[in-house]
Amino acid sequence: MTHNQIIGTDNPLNDDQRRNLAIVLDLIVPASADGQRPSAADVDVLGYVREAESHTLDGLRAELDQLDAEAIGSQGESFASLDPATRQALVDAVREREPHFLRTLAMQTVTCYYRNDRVLEAIGVGARPPFPEGYEVPSGDLSLLEPVRRRGQVYREA
Amino acid sequence: MADDVVDVLIVGAGASGAAVAWSLAETRMRIVCLEQGGWMNPAEYPSNGRDWETRAAKEMQVSPNLRKRPADYPINDDDSPIAILNFNAVGGSTILYSAHFPRFHPSDFRVKTLDGVADDWPIDYATLEPFFAQNDHNIGVAGLAGDPAIPAHEPPLPHIPMGRMGETMGRGFNKLGWHWWPSDSAIITRPHNGRGECLNLGPCNTGCAQGAKSSADIAYWPVNERAGVELRTHCRVREITVDDRDMATGVTYFDADGNERHQRAEVVIVACNGVGTPRLLLNSTSARFPNGLANRSGLVGRNLMLHPWGVVIGYFDEPLGSNFGPQGCCILSQQFYETDTTRGFVRGYNMQITRGGPPVGTARGGVTQGTIPWGAGHHDAFDSLFGRNIHLGLCCEDLPEAHNRVTLDPVLADSNGIPSPRISYTLSENSRRMLDHGLARGAEAMEAAGASKIQKAPAPIRMAGWHLLGTARMGTDPERSVVNEWGRSHDVRNLFIVDGSVFVTSGGVNPTTTIQAVALYIADSMKQRLANLFD
Repeated sequence: MTHNQIIGTDNPLNDDQRRNLAIVLDLIVPASADGQRPSAADVDVLGYVREAESHTLDGLRAELDQLDAEAIGSQGESFASLDPATRQALVDAVREREPHFLRTLAMQTVTCYYRNDRVLEAIGVGARPPFPEGYEVPSGDLSLLEPVRRRGQVYREA
Repeated sequence: MADDVVDVLIVGAGASGAAVAWSLAETRMRIVCLEQGGWMNPAEYPSNGRDWETRAAKEMQVSPNLRKRPADYPINDDDSPIAILNFNAVGGSTILYSAHFPRFHPSDFRVKTLDGVADDWPIDYATLEPFFAQNDHNIGVAGLAGDPAIPAHEPPLPHIPMGRMGETMGRGFNKLGWHWWPSDSAIITRPHNGRGECLNLGPCNTGCAQGAKSSADIAYWPVNERAGVELRTHCRVREITVDDRDMATGVTYFDADGNERHQRAEVVIVACNGVGTPRLLLNSTSARFPNGLANRSGLVGRNLMLHPWGVVIGYFDEPLGSNFGPQGCCILSQQFYETDTTRGFVRGYNMQITRGGPPVGTARGGVTQGTIPWGAGHHDAFDSLFGRNIHLGLCCEDLPEAHNRVTLDPVLADSNGIPSPRISYTLSENSRRMLDHGLARGAEAMEAAGASKIQKAPAPIRMAGWHLLGTARMGTDPERSVVNEWGRSHDVRNLFIVDGSVFVTSGGVNPTTTIQAVALYIADSMKQRLANLFD
């Protein structure tokens, strides 16, 4: 048994599906222009799906295969072979026709993306869990309550 | 131990069971509490990990029907627009509550007299006031004295930080001339009774890893156990047994291994919440109580009140840091709490300002609603929402209606085969009008605060049935109530109910502080009458 076969046995997607997945993830969340936030293609969405939502893998495979079928049907070549603008147009067209297409993947993508260290740093919450450090929150300006105090009691005696 | 007699047997270790055990412990009676869940471990709460949002959505799911932990029992709430939510463990639903802790108003106990609807309570605010204060001290409540919306009281700890979002909403309320105030919160803002102070972790409603949120497992049970109260976990009570003198003799329960046991007791106290308590009573049938224990009035399970909930979200152009801070606690407005019949409804509601969504929640919500697109616009759209949104929750008073009720489901049962509760509930016209009024006023408040976009969620929110009240109401007339004015069953003289079931009306605020004050009051009443408790 070769090394490649071992990896292949453990791989839920074939090479074409993996290529298509990377393209789609980058369409969903591309890297930010300032380079601070990575593309969703670089945050191991597939690992998240396998770990947390493996029951959706069959559906994912089918949707990634559908991209190739749609591309070959309309353009005569695989999805990965298309230029970026044509890929985008193809995905938009399928989503327009089938609103549920790739919806599960989109939700999984942002779920995985917004727990990634680089992303959490970039949005200002830090690459760490809430506990034990917590966060600083300003106490607030209590002088704002003066008008409320001046108006006086607002409850009914009973 | 299997069938000896304890002095007091409490069913349920949540908010009210913990409080009543604390008060009775000083009597040195032998007290045992049976809890169907186990101890939670704060070191395992989601906020210990970076994946806390995804873990919370599964492990700390609010509906027992979806969560399906071994301690949970299924609830048939198909016939209700509001789902029943709870948590089953030592500490009960306080494990997941937001710890927003406003008290009932004096007028909440005189609804019939003041507004001509529902009924008056047989007790009043003044009677409960010392027990509110005692509970605040016991568990550690943060707040700011001087709120003109309720009688004067001194929260023992400094208020929860408002943050920029609280100030922003406060300015908005000021512009409208409306009441607002930092919320009383069952969260310790300074070290208290050996517990560490709040660190602003945020997700209080997924369990507090710091132990700063005053859930009953943290705030009461360690003290109770040191005082000699015996807490038996993973013990699910099937029924309360009675003798031919209409006295409770104890309970039959399933232990952690599924063995059926009987525990005899001189006094039985039920503390299972407004759904669990009628379920237990209705499951406790006998020749003398064919329609359920303590149910000769026919009112056990009736008059269920749920606090219909509405939500308005405001989106602001400037960063507010609204994703930081205790999720459910910031400020409140009680501008529309007291009755004004020109509004088209009686009674009123509380406005609870809560923090903005966390990262995954913001992104998922935005993608679902189409406000965060795929592609190049994703990051700007996310940034325009995250930390810049404020939520306003409407807690509407629900009036008691006999047809809103808990019965037993003919098919559904828990893992021990005990019949499950079935909920039949319809939203009243008064509640509908109140919700509509609140949604309009909430939007007005957001606009005054400077929101650039305002969203009103469809109301009532389905996943909001936390407040389970009224299903074994308190009163002096045995024909029109289940327990008397100090919590004792009219029909069974050694049976007491201490949870939200005994509420006559629901008020328009989160009820836990009032539930615990009532439990402490009932315990105190029992202690005053120990010599003739069953007369």
